[in-house]
Amino acid sequence: MKNSIYILFVLLVASACKEQQELPKEWVLSKTIKLEGVNPIGITQLNGDIWISDGDHNRLIKIDSEGIIIQTLDSLDRPMHIDASEGVLFVPLYGTDEIFNYNPSNPQSQLPVFDYPADSLDAPASISVFKKEKAIADFYNNRILYFNGSEWISFGKEGKAEGEFYYPTDVQITKDEIWVADAYNNRIQVFDKKGIFLQMMGHDQKMNAATGIFVSEDEVYISDFENNRILIFDKNGNLRQTLKNQIEKPTDVMIKDEMLYVINYKNGKLNLFEKQEVAQKKQ
Amino acid sequence: MMKKSIITTVFLTLMVVFPTVAQDGRDNFMVQVDGLGCPFCAYGLEKKFKEFKGIKDVKIDIETGDFSFSYPSDKALSMNDVEKQVEKAGYTPMSAKVERANGKVEESSTKEMAKKTEGTVSKNVMVAGNCAMCEARITKAAGSVSGVSNVTWDKDTKIMNVSFDAGLTSLEEIEKEIAVAGHDTKNHEAHTDDYGNLPACCKYERLSC
Repeated sequence: MKNSIYILFVLLVASACKEQQELPKEWVLSKTIKLEGVNPIGITQLNGDIWISDGDHNRLIKIDSEGIIIQTLDSLDRPMHIDASEGVLFVPLYGTDEIFNYNPSNPQSQLPVFDYPADSLDAPASISVFKKEKAIADFYNNRILYFNGSEWISFGKEGKAEGEFYYPTDVQITKDEIWVADAYNNRIQVFDKKGIFLQMMGHDQKMNAATGIFVSEDEVYISDFENNRILIFDKNGNLRQTLKNQIEKPTDVMIKDEMLYVINYKNGKLNLFEKQEVAQKKQ
Repeated sequence: MMKKSIITTVFLTLMVVFPTVAQDGRDNFMVQVDGLGCPFCAYGLEKKFKEFKGIKDVKIDIETGDFSFSYPSDKALSMNDVEKQVEKAGYTPMSAKVERANGKVEESSTKEMAKKTEGTVSKNVMVAGNCAMCEARITKAAGSVSGVSNVTWDKDTKIMNVSFDAGLTSLEEIEKEIAVAGHDTKNHEAHTDDYGNLPACCKYERLSC
């Protein structure tokens, strides 16, 4: 009798352990929202709101959870990959070589002067703001402009070698690095904050126009525009997952509230993916 | 009497039509552009053409490469100016057509446009390759095109600089010859068989054209 109780106890413990074993997670499409009359280029979040740049229509829009436009900022000349920080939206204007700053909750407020080297920009395609740091992807000059909090530096030139660009379209600053979507070299490049090349990834994935990038704690997301897919890498450049469902000419990606947001230039759709546990594939 | 009426009708029609065209006073340009792939390219092309003060009605179709705009006819914008501006934006004009405000129509292909630029021109273009053998193959292929006077290729930057007589050849023809030798260029992808014939050390990462 004592033995039976002991065996039963062992079996229960083993069963409980098995139940607690975590299954691997993958991004799975959970929702698609059609943005009517929008050709989205860039996406960001500000105070919980979603803002999207609509390049073809020269405007910025704020949408609700169903994709309904609830605010519009017009007359922006080709707004591209946008960012937000401390209540302010930062908008690169591709057509006029300017960076537009806007505080939606206090539009009349005087914003600090954004002292980028404006006269030297030629089609700014993206801006990233991280605390006091800023970076701009300078499309036609094939370089990144980076402000480290006290001064601007510039790195990169046209080419295919490490540290060179062929039309960079997106940039993101993280705690220790600067990540660049090197669009027509079809790869991601990573730099330290002195502009020194660290690594590249995605160059072996046959991408065709790597237009938008987002970097999270442990993953890197890139939109592969012509191939209609999102590639997800770990920080070492190992491909973890490819997303294709409902994706058509994607231009940007973003994580918000543990959901992955993908915007598509051609079909005007906003795709939301969430991480779900998936059954392990049989070996 | 009938003949007189017809003549009067035709005359009146012309009086109505021609002043309308003249009042419009704008030339309509239609250009087929190679290399446009994404909105970044399309907006870039539009941006470079904003340097032409007075440009209006700009339309770009990134799927087809069709680019059109109107421009004040009194500024007499030439096909050659348009071609140069397309190249400045980083793309290749394949053909162009302009309907002048006075009703005159001009058309030209890339080759014809290039011929208008008499004399030697120097161009940079990206060509894929890895090594010194690639360099030899690329410069040999480009140099074999009649009209090419000088060619260099940097294996680090992958940029080829080529000088040629624009009256004899064009960058497009030179790029095609390089593609036949097995090397992708910015605007011409080498055939899979030609790429496959390259030695192992020359198997570069394919460009997406």
